[in-house]
Amino acid sequence: MKLSRAFWLVSLMGLAAVATVGAQEPYPSRPVTIVAPFPPGGVADLTARPVAAAMEKVLKNPVGVVNKTGAAGAVGMQFVATSKPDGYTLLLALSSISIIPEADKLFGRPPAFTVDQFAPIALISADPTILVVPADKPWKTAADFIADARKRPGQISYSSSGVYGTLHMAMELLSHAASIKLRHVPYAGAGPALTAILGGHVDALASGPAVVLPHIKAGKLRALAGWGDKRVAALPEVPTFKELGFTDAEFYIWAGVFAPRGTPEPVLAKLRETLRVAVADSDFKSAMDKLETPIVFKQGAEFAAFFQADAGRLAEGVRKVGRIEAK
Amino acid sequence: MTETLHNLVLGFSVALSPPILLYAFVGCVVGTLVGVLPGVGPLAGISLLLPATFGLDATRAIVMLAGIYYGAMYGGSTTSILMRIPGEAASVMTCIDGYAMARKGRAGAALAIAAVGSYVAGTVSVVALMLLAPPLASFALRFGPPEYFALLVLGLLVLAYMSSGSMLRALAMATLGLLLGMIGIDQMTGYFRYSYGVVELGDGIGVVPVAVGLFGLAEILATAGLPAPPPVLRPTLRELLPTRQEWRDAAWPIGRGTVLGFLIGIVPGSAHIIASFVSYALERKLSKRPEEFGQGAVAGVAGPESANNSATSGAFVPMLALGVPSGPIPAVMLAAMMVHGVSPGPLLIKQQPELFWGFIASMYVGNVVLLILNLPLVGVFVNILRVPYPILYPSILAFCILGVYAVNGSVVDVWIMLLMGAFGYLLRKLGFETAPIVLGVVLAPMIEMALRQSLAMSDGQYAIFLERPISATLLGVGLVLITLGLKPLVTRSLDWRARLALAEKGDEHR
Repeated sequence: MKLSRAFWLVSLMGLAAVATVGAQEPYPSRPVTIVAPFPPGGVADLTARPVAAAMEKVLKNPVGVVNKTGAAGAVGMQFVATSKPDGYTLLLALSSISIIPEADKLFGRPPAFTVDQFAPIALISADPTILVVPADKPWKTAADFIADARKRPGQISYSSSGVYGTLHMAMELLSHAASIKLRHVPYAGAGPALTAILGGHVDALASGPAVVLPHIKAGKLRALAGWGDKRVAALPEVPTFKELGFTDAEFYIWAGVFAPRGTPEPVLAKLRETLRVAVADSDFKSAMDKLETPIVFKQGAEFAAFFQADAGRLAEGVRKVGRIEAK
Repeated sequence: MTETLHNLVLGFSVALSPPILLYAFVGCVVGTLVGVLPGVGPLAGISLLLPATFGLDATRAIVMLAGIYYGAMYGGSTTSILMRIPGEAASVMTCIDGYAMARKGRAGAALAIAAVGSYVAGTVSVVALMLLAPPLASFALRFGPPEYFALLVLGLLVLAYMSSGSMLRALAMATLGLLLGMIGIDQMTGYFRYSYGVVELGDGIGVVPVAVGLFGLAEILATAGLPAPPPVLRPTLRELLPTRQEWRDAAWPIGRGTVLGFLIGIVPGSAHIIASFVSYALERKLSKRPEEFGQGAVAGVAGPESANNSATSGAFVPMLALGVPSGPIPAVMLAAMMVHGVSPGPLLIKQQPELFWGFIASMYVGNVVLLILNLPLVGVFVNILRVPYPILYPSILAFCILGVYAVNGSVVDVWIMLLMGAFGYLLRKLGFETAPIVLGVVLAPMIEMALRQSLAMSDGQYAIFLERPISATLLGVGLVLITLGLKPLVTRSLDWRARLALAEKGDEHR
């Protein structure tokens, strides 16, 4: 008799617990994970860590960063795309998120993931790429460069972070906007691409401003123009391609936070609000300052529109490059 | 010169201050552990621990990360020698003769020689780094894809000296390795090759799972298949130290390995891995008794171990002098600097003298720390061999799986390692050597990339390899090596390989 009463008591408590979990467990009630699909030390990782720290302060709940790397980011993105949509697994993605499925389509292979599998939460940063050339090259302005490229199609070479990578796409968008043809030499990552131009093995590079600034200051590289809609703060004398009349040459290396599609709206709203407060955090600002990466915050419909426009430009870029056939 | 001395005093005042010393020490200890854990190499170790340094100031963070880097290079030799498991890719060559020495009861000697060789190489190369960094860095940057390709072709020729048995079998294994290295995304067109829908295979087959499988797992399986377990080794204290003859055999290989490793190390890219391969081949070529290689030759441990350690310092040359991310590990360290608001670039030495000279001085200190740490540990590590096999081998297996998984958090890597283990066992039974497979897997993606980048640069003109002085010189050296290799065919004299084959035949007839 005693035993059975205890049994009922325990079962009831158990039921009650199950009921609360099923109904509405306040989000978040356990650690949140942000997946960075690139190795530590890369842009995604270096952005994800201060974001996680600032979110932790707002949510008063642990937020961790996990690097799930491989196949130019596809492994980590696929992982989040197929994760449980409960707001505990988030993705910090870069521009390449919309390139990968497009390249998969181009080759007719089953896509690792599609853009539709994600719910955009907020944009954290957007850094326009800038065009740099070795300082000992004759081109002093973007106009010189483009004029020479028209005269000698396919003769001026550039390095990139990899085929269909962000730095490749930036150059392709410019080539189309200016109707020029350049020679592409892909490298395995942005680091080797920078090393290549510093060694004088290629003639040009589209790069995020932060990594080339010291080399511009030291007089090794010259900046000709930028892909942003405004000039880069650290290089006020360098014009944008838009100013020069190449309106389609617009490109940003951006970082944004995504959740798997199907995450409940209240959770998404909470995450948007959290990120809005987080990007204003002073520690976060100083961390991004040190990386010389401008914070550009967009959320909700505004981010969705930005994301769509960007994805459209990149998809167009990938299609224009087409399949690269061996010579 | 006086300026350098003055700066070095500044550097030591930074490096010997208690907090920096502590972080250098912690870095060395962590690095040694990282190196000892099978599969986890310096890159994985630094990447995993990078976030932990974000709270420190720039100098402390860099000193600690550098400690992890060269600590891992030291530690990598331990498991190679004791258990034939490469702690990281650069100690694959140490597995061959180091483990053979251990089987002959010379484990302590091999470990001591590896530690001293690493120390000499580490210290000498820091001196070179300090004095030669700026001029060497500009030279290193002249290594573009064509030069890199020529260097790698030289690396391929090395294959011929790697095996002790039949040349045909060695080349067959190398070809297999090159083919395995073809798996993954084609870097020039974006095609997935041989990936069969497994996204993880897009990055290709990693060297680490292949090396740990082919060497470590295969060894465990082979031992399990023996009718009686091999006798458990009980080294005595006297056997721990190398004999006078062993020191004499090690001296020149250490010197040559140091110079060679440093020179290969400064080349941008992942060239440091081939430093140990090239050193092994060089020692075999120069040795008066090449037939001892593979059976526990001291030079086969001393050369490659010194080479991989001085390549470590070499890799810092372009990074510190020019702020160039010249390889995966320097790239991570540059990111660490950026996190701390130090913008790495050509002006680093002028703008941040404490950081640069503190870093240099801490490398001297770190090498001493590692020597003090590692020599007494030889006695401890050797005792692992006393553990009975039924306990030792399952634990090693568990550590291998853990280590390989930890690098990328990828189960696919674990499967690759297990398959390679079974495959390596099979090859062993059939009398094939597995080291050429590993070299093939290392070289294939690099050679392919360099060749195709060169052709992209020249718009398909092969003349680019001859127009550029460095690549033309390297290819010329390769041609001379091939010619020398053909000489015995013409003069009909027997080289060591033929003598060895004859001797083996004699054994069979007996």
